[in-house]
Order: sequence, then C-alpha cells, then structure tokens
Amino acid sequence: MKLLEMNHVRKNFDGLEVLKDISFSIERGEVVSVIGPSGSGKSTLLRCATMLEKMDGGELYYMGEAAAWEKDGKCVYASKKELKKLHKYFGLVFQNFNLFPHYNVMKNITDSLIRVDKVARKEAVSRAVRLLEQLGLEDKQSAYPCQLSGGQQQRVSIARALARQPQLLFFDEPTSALDPELTMEVLKVIRQLAKEHMTMIIVTHEMQFAREVSDRIIFMEDGVIKGEGTPDEFFATDNGRIRDFIGKLSGAGA
Amino acid sequence: MSIQVMLLQLGKGMIVSVEIFILTLLFSLPLGLVISFGRMSKNFALRAITKFYISVMRGTPLMLQLLVVYFAPYYVLGIKISAGYRFVAVILAFVINYAAYFAEIYRSGIESMPVGQYEAAKVLGYNKLQTFFKIILPQVIKRILPSVTNEIITLVKDTSLAFAIAQAEMFTIAKQIAASQTSVMPLMVAGVYYYIFNLIVAVAMEKVEKAFSYYR
Repeated sequence: MKLLEMNHVRKNFDGLEVLKDISFSIERGEVVSVIGPSGSGKSTLLRCATMLEKMDGGELYYMGEAAAWEKDGKCVYASKKELKKLHKYFGLVFQNFNLFPHYNVMKNITDSLIRVDKVARKEAVSRAVRLLEQLGLEDKQSAYPCQLSGGQQQRVSIARALARQPQLLFFDEPTSALDPELTMEVLKVIRQLAKEHMTMIIVTHEMQFAREVSDRIIFMEDGVIKGEGTPDEFFATDNGRIRDFIGKLSGAGA
Repeated sequence: MSIQVMLLQLGKGMIVSVEIFILTLLFSLPLGLVISFGRMSKNFALRAITKFYISVMRGTPLMLQLLVVYFAPYYVLGIKISAGYRFVAVILAFVINYAAYFAEIYRSGIESMPVGQYEAAKVLGYNKLQTFFKIILPQVIKRILPSVTNEIITLVKDTSLAFAIAQAEMFTIAKQIAASQTSVMPLMVAGVYYYIFNLIVAVAMEKVEKAFSYYR
C-alpha cells in the first residue's frame, strides 16, 4: 500500500521554480533516501510532503486519502479537520532538532500526545520511557534540551516523532548540524528503525549511510528527479551526473 | 509638622502611587499583547492603525496625554468631570501609554522566535492557540524580561506625573508639604521612597528572571 503519493508537484518561490513536476510515492516498510546538491529542491519536496509549504500544483495523498489536489490549475487543500487527521500519519525530524527549550525531555515527548492526541498521561509517559530506553536516553528524562549534546537532542526529537506512532517518518538532513561522532549515534538510531521496517524518507548527504539503509535512492537536481533506483543500481549507474555527484561527496567525506 | 506626620502623609501618597503602578501593569501588560497582534496583523488597515497609535503614544509626552484624557470629556464632549474621574483618568492614560511600549516589546520578542518552533509545533499537531500560548509565549516572556524590567522601573518614577492633574499620590503630596513647610526635606524623603520602591521592583524582577533561567 502506498503510504504517501505525490503527483506532478510544483512549487515556486517568488517566480523561481524549485519543484518542477515531481511525482513520487513510498510503500509501507520502505526506506527512501533523497540526495542531491544544495538547492536541488529536496528539502522543499519534504516540506511540501509534510505540509510546511503549500504546493503550487500537484496532488498529495496519505494512505490513499487526499490532502491536496488540483482544481482549475490551482492546488486546493483538504479541510482543516481532514488535514488534522492526515497529520497523524507522519512525523518529521528536523535538521536543527527544534525541541522546545522550555520543556524537559519528558514533556517535549509527551506534551503533544496529551494535549493534541488526547493520549492518557500515564500511557504517554510509558511510551516516552520505552522510547528513551531504546534510544539510550533513559537517564535524561528530566534534562532540558540545553543540557544535552546535539546528538542527544536529535535522538530526543526522534523519540518525540516516534511517540506519536506515525506510519511514516521524514528526516530532513538529520545529521547536518552534528559533528562526525554525534552523526554516528544518530545514524545508528535510524539504522535500527530501518531494521524494524519503519517507513522512512530521509533527505541526507551521508552517501554511505544512504547506500546502506535505503531500499531506494532518489537523486534530485534543479527541481526534478534525475535518477532513482536501488542502492546497487544507483552506485553502478552510468548516468554521468550522478556518478559525478557520488564521487564528489565520497571524496569530500574522505 | 513633625517628621512622623510627614512620613505618614508621604506613606499615604505612596499607597496611591503603588495603586497606580499595579493597576497600570495589570491592564497594560495584556493590552500590549493584544496591540502587538494588531501591529503584526496581516490586515493592512489594522496594522496601520496600531502603528499610528503606538507612534502617537511614544511620540507625545505622557504628561500631555494625562491632561488630554482628564480634560477631554469636558472640553470635547461637555460632560462635567466628577471627582472620582481623576483617578480613572490617571489609570486610563498610563494604561494606553504603557500598552504601546509593551506592544513593541512583545513584538520584538515574538519576531525573534525561530520559525522552527512554529514548524515543530505544527508537525506535532498543535493548533494556533496552543502553539502561541504553550510554545511561543513562554519563550517570548523569557526573552523580553530585561526590556520589561526597564519599562516597569520607569513606570515607578512616571507615577509622579499624576501630579499634573492633581492626583494625590506621593509626589503631589511631597510638593504640597515642601511648599507649606518651605523645606526640601519632603522631596528628599519622596526620593528615598521611590528609590526603595524601585529597589523592591528590581529584586522582584531579578527573581522572575532567575525563575526563567532553567533553560536557554
């Protein structure tokens, strides 16, 4: 079953076409990495999928339910109530974590569960405790984000996203704000999620990581999908531009 | 006049000054927030009106505003000013003046919030009200506390402007005693009272800032 489907997505910023007719979908249990140079539109694609940006054209479906579609050449979104429901299907992990600095770790994870999703406090806390244990943060429940390392903050933000039990998890360059050592601890968590067949879409620059965890890799450039395939196909591609990009990044990483 | 009587009379005036201070804060702090919303509104007319209002409030003397608020009902509308209106006019003038300053402080705080906080809240499903009051405002308050402390300390001293419409607060009384006794002593004592008042305010605000210092 297609968890997410995007068809003919277009997005402009002040007349600049950032996404040009992008179509894309993901099946349950799939891990898809989106790679590409800066400004290629990969983050914008993710922000359109998570409805942080409004698309200028195209369709967006979650679990077959329409979030947005085209009518008379314009993009229309579903009702607030409908969108609220669709919002429960996915979670998003930001590059800069975006934890709430005035809440401790426990409250960062449980507050939206209790306040928004109306989960009983006891259940919310037990979910959080379980996740924090899994992520090796069991002793950080009452710490505030400012007392944590970047890697720990990112793991808390992954816990916050997972606590809502989404069908699909988006990662927007989850390790770009971290040094190599902290990057490792976050990638380890994502790797574990991949093993558990969590459906994930990961925008990343970590080539080796993408190769290792993904079922499919998408290469974006200039607002279009230039290539797509399994990691093996991808790393053996004869598409010069993709080879070039992989080569550059691998070189830069060495 | 014995020194005790003078201290007592100034003390009574002090109570009125404190009343002005508390009532002004009580109304102008929430009103300022509402005005800051108008100032940041997407609606052009609303934005223009609040901008004009703030510029007038900040651009003209508070003493003049006091006189206008006090005398306008009589000169403009022909309503006879009742004795009880004096204090109401003081509070009204202070509230609309301070709300303008607070509105700009709120605005600076709200606009300094990183957009990521709104986005995280949105993805987690918080609605707009929850996002503002649970996620944004607590952080804004922490950010603006130093500026608010500044305004509050100024307010303590500004309460003395109520003498312009003969409201019997501490400064008005100090001036009257000083004139009748031909002594500068009452004014000195009033100065000490104001200073102590502000010392208390400063210590209290420091406590509040400390209460918010558990996170960065």
